[in-house]
Amino acid sequence: MVITSVLARGQTVARSGLSTAVEKPLETVLAVVGLLIAGDFVVALLVTGGLGFAEVGQLAKNGLMRGLVIGLAGVGLSMTYSILNFANFSHGDYITFGAFAGWGVTYLVAGFGEADWTNLLLVGAGGGVYGAQLGISITGTPLAVVVGLVLAGATTAGLALLVDRGIYKSMRDAGGIPLLITSVGVAFALRYVIALSYNQSVRGTTSTDIPTYQLPAIDGTIGVNAHDLVVLASAVALMLGVHFLLQRTKLGKAMRAMADNEDLALVTGIPTERVVTWTWVVGGALTGVSGFLLVLWRETINFRIGWVLLLLVFSAVILGGIGSIYGAIFGGVIIGLTLELSQIWIPTDFARASAFALMIVILLVRPKGLFAGRSTA
Amino acid sequence: MSLLEIDDLDAGYGDLQILDGVDMAVDDEEYVAIVGPNGAGKSTVMRTVFGIATHMGGTITFDGEKISTLAPERVIRKGIGYVPQDDNVFSSLSVRENLEMGAYILDDVPEAALREVYDRFPILEEREGQKGGTLSGGQQQMLAMGRALMLDPDLILLDEPSAGLAPDLVEEMFEKVDQINDDGTAILMVEQNAKEALRRCDRGYVLVQGQNRYDGPGESLLDDEQIRRDFLGG
Repeated sequence: MVITSVLARGQTVARSGLSTAVEKPLETVLAVVGLLIAGDFVVALLVTGGLGFAEVGQLAKNGLMRGLVIGLAGVGLSMTYSILNFANFSHGDYITFGAFAGWGVTYLVAGFGEADWTNLLLVGAGGGVYGAQLGISITGTPLAVVVGLVLAGATTAGLALLVDRGIYKSMRDAGGIPLLITSVGVAFALRYVIALSYNQSVRGTTSTDIPTYQLPAIDGTIGVNAHDLVVLASAVALMLGVHFLLQRTKLGKAMRAMADNEDLALVTGIPTERVVTWTWVVGGALTGVSGFLLVLWRETINFRIGWVLLLLVFSAVILGGIGSIYGAIFGGVIIGLTLELSQIWIPTDFARASAFALMIVILLVRPKGLFAGRSTA
Repeated sequence: MSLLEIDDLDAGYGDLQILDGVDMAVDDEEYVAIVGPNGAGKSTVMRTVFGIATHMGGTITFDGEKISTLAPERVIRKGIGYVPQDDNVFSSLSVRENLEMGAYILDDVPEAALREVYDRFPILEEREGQKGGTLSGGQQQMLAMGRALMLDPDLILLDEPSAGLAPDLVEEMFEKVDQINDDGTAILMVEQNAKEALRRCDRGYVLVQGQNRYDGPGESLLDDEQIRRDFLGG
């Protein structure tokens, strides 16, 4: 198969451009559209000046931030997908759970003594506690943010494990589809338990005064605030951590072995149940942290943030090649950048549509995703 | 008492019974082959010993201990290695990582055992950093055997080691198995290539429809007119 595909590629290159266009109409149309967009972009930026470097830079920065959060959540989803063989639709609500659990702790640490502790822990669900008043930011209340971030990971790992033990484990032999449907049920249950506990309002979480640095761009500046840097540093550190785990540690190698071939892992003497446990712990922790970072970056929280993000996370994972963690990161950044940069051409309301359109286009050309065949490793 | 004793074993998968009162034994350092037609349950014997088929009755004893229903991880700890037939390497793990997985139950990678595996299969050392899935069929088979040897087991179960190999590799593979046996590891092997297997083994079992049909020294099974005609193709 590899040989024939290499041969086929060689032949295609050898033929003239015209016959390529006839044989591969889809690719040709996509290439033309891509060139038009790129051309329009370059002309607007350099010739007519309709587009500023600072403007593009700002969108790209926002896209990168959003992409890193999506990618981080995607790594968690991809790990559980490749090792446990099922698409976990409750993943989005794990993101929300991580956000609320973590921010509850952040509120508690930042506002201890200033308000009722239960109210703080419920992220101000009972009223009378406002994020802006607590002045939460990485520079103002560093301890509160860091402790919240860590506990967002820890509690979500616990939740993921609890749901697995209580619900998924007994169904694991039933196959991917029953598990998927169950996970949709878990998603709804979890979402409305969160809505009942933390209420349904959208509320601001951070201080209005976050230190911002102006990065010079040719025709202006790009604003980067301290929380952007926290998202960047945490996401990159965690992704490197996962890379180290999978490539260098015995547990990580066993995770890759299980993703490859679960039956073989079993007869090789790998304690598969323990590996599953750790997969939920690691995947859950990454997911919880991504929820915390999402709120840190958006500066608001509500009970639907994870659910709304889930489709984008799925797109990122599918785009990158399902099962590949590097694909998930890469796919996340592509989705994030598309969401933001598409606003140059189309209204913001359609940004999500453009991200999904891009996913469809990439899958038409590379049906197994960009990093296909590099499962987990 | 034999190293491995299988006594009146009934086994299968779920509700489907495949083995019906199978008796078998492997002595210390002995080389035993199981042959028979397709669907006779040859592989099921191994899978039951290894705890991945459904045990329905009878006993399996290893080194004097009952292991009838132990999980694979526990069976490995007793000193049995298993090389399944297809898909027997982790394709996205490197050759070295594949071997490391073979010693998962130990705290550290046993360097001495790794050295021995590399000496036995020099090609694996050459390809140490290459992904398992990029190896040829013969090399994958060697990698799978090497992985099972990482814990220096007393008995290795080999499920059709020659399946899908080119003719010249088949010969090499059987020689490797002979060497492993000469170095003191007992072998229980299922083989489609019955003539070659019976020629090389100490004893053989002919399994038909989940039951013992014949057993005895390999050469004598090979010489038996009836067996030749019914199971070895003339």
